Amino acid sequence: MIVMARERRLAEVFVEVADSLIDDFDVIDLLQRLSARCVELLDVAAAGIMLADAHGELQTIAASDEHTHLLELFALQHDQGPCVECYRSGAARSNIDLTGPEAAAAWPSFAPRARATGYLTTHAVPLRLRHRVVGALNLFQTGPVPLGDDDIALAQALADVATITILQQRTLEQAYVDKSQVEHALASRVRIEQVKGILAERWNSGVDEAFAAFRAYARAHHLRLADFASRIIDGSFDTATIPGPRPAAREPRD
Amino acid sequence: MAERSQVISDGMADLLRSLRLEDGGGDAPAAACARALGAAGVAVSVLVGEDRVAELLWSHPAASERFENLQFTVGEGPGPDALRAGVPVVEPDLDRVRPERWPALLPGARELGVHGVCCFPLGVGAIRLGVLTVLCDEKRHFSDQQFDDAQALAAALTCAVLNGGLTGAPSTPGALPGPVGLNRAAVHQATGMISVQLGVPLAEALLRLRAHAYGSGLDIGEVAAEVVTRTLRFDDDGTGPNSPDRGKG
Repeated sequence: MIVMARERRLAEVFVEVADSLIDDFDVIDLLQRLSARCVELLDVAAAGIMLADAHGELQTIAASDEHTHLLELFALQHDQGPCVECYRSGAARSNIDLTGPEAAAAWPSFAPRARATGYLTTHAVPLRLRHRVVGALNLFQTGPVPLGDDDIALAQALADVATITILQQRTLEQAYVDKSQVEHALASRVRIEQVKGILAERWNSGVDEAFAAFRAYARAHHLRLADFASRIIDGSFDTATIPGPRPAAREPRD
Repeated sequence: MAERSQVISDGMADLLRSLRLEDGGGDAPAAACARALGAAGVAVSVLVGEDRVAELLWSHPAASERFENLQFTVGEGPGPDALRAGVPVVEPDLDRVRPERWPALLPGARELGVHGVCCFPLGVGAIRLGVLTVLCDEKRHFSDQQFDDAQALAAALTCAVLNGGLTGAPSTPGALPGPVGLNRAAVHQATGMISVQLGVPLAEALLRLRAHAYGSGLDIGEVAAEVVTRTLRFDDDGTGPNSPDRGKG
């Protein structure tokens, strides 16, 4: 019964993504939704999608929740962690025990940090297109219950959808290399981090709250996150019209 | 199994070690870049002034300069597109480009004997600093290795321009390759916050952040985290120890 419900939900996710790909879509927004779906469909507490930049270093592109502690945990994996190994080998790593001595020895800064954040188990699944690996999907669990083979297969299916999402994005002339698409996605991600800082400072709020307000406004007004961020940065959008974060700002504007 | 070329070529690595943006030798750096990339030509333009006009910094050979001038004149082309979108525009074979995409540019490029053009924006996120233009020869092919090398070069040039190499301000010796992988979210968030605190563009905010980290011998990620958690602010009166101008402004 539960399995049926999940399959139906999974089918909906694929339809949702397929629908989004028809339009000129926002890659960050779609990947964020996909990360949230991973949490919903698999028994995991957090999910993140990482892409390799031009130097082969993994960068966070989207996460199931945008809390800074989680983003920093992903960021630690630019040089060590299961995602790095998954990206280098192209093979999935599942059910890694973060409390065990092996994890501690293999990833001396990542493993303790993940444990301190409350995660006991992690999984890394490659984002693969034919022979090319462009990044990895990272899953975290707060409990010790392992993911079964079916779950891992589903995680791989979701990772494949993420890969298609990234590489389907329209570049200026469609024609050339998917590397540009990866770079474009990463540049969009950096822009969003920059605008988080701008809004947090204007609202005198934390960056997480600033992002929540930013995203809520974008959703309500059907704005693409990356475009919206650009308009805020270049000053063509008056941020006073965005409702600030709840416990906000004694002085919302300077 | 993974066919990823994540390593830049030896030639590009050598170049990045030796390249100095402020080198006096005219267009010699452009010639070296063209050689390292195996390209027909290279030009680097940086955005200057209030209007952010693309100003040619150096180029080699003459066709590169003429192509930059052509793009500037007609106001369209891969360079302006790369700058606008912040994404590489890779067209190694201009004959395969739809004529209506750059109607004014394409005939002019053909007259100049330019076969293909690949443009890489210089910048970090919303920070746009300039563009690296690579002219391709009649082989009309741009390999993965060339793409990776050009990306590495663009990242190094970005650092150099951020270091003030353009204005002749003192840059750190050997600073060119620099911290290209600013891979922590906090660095970009702090950049946004500092830009509001100081009322300066993002590029200058990032420079202030890096200068503070460098000057205090701290990791840039740690300094950024202090900014994000609001234990460190940059809205001093401009005369503080963090000011790059040492109190003049």
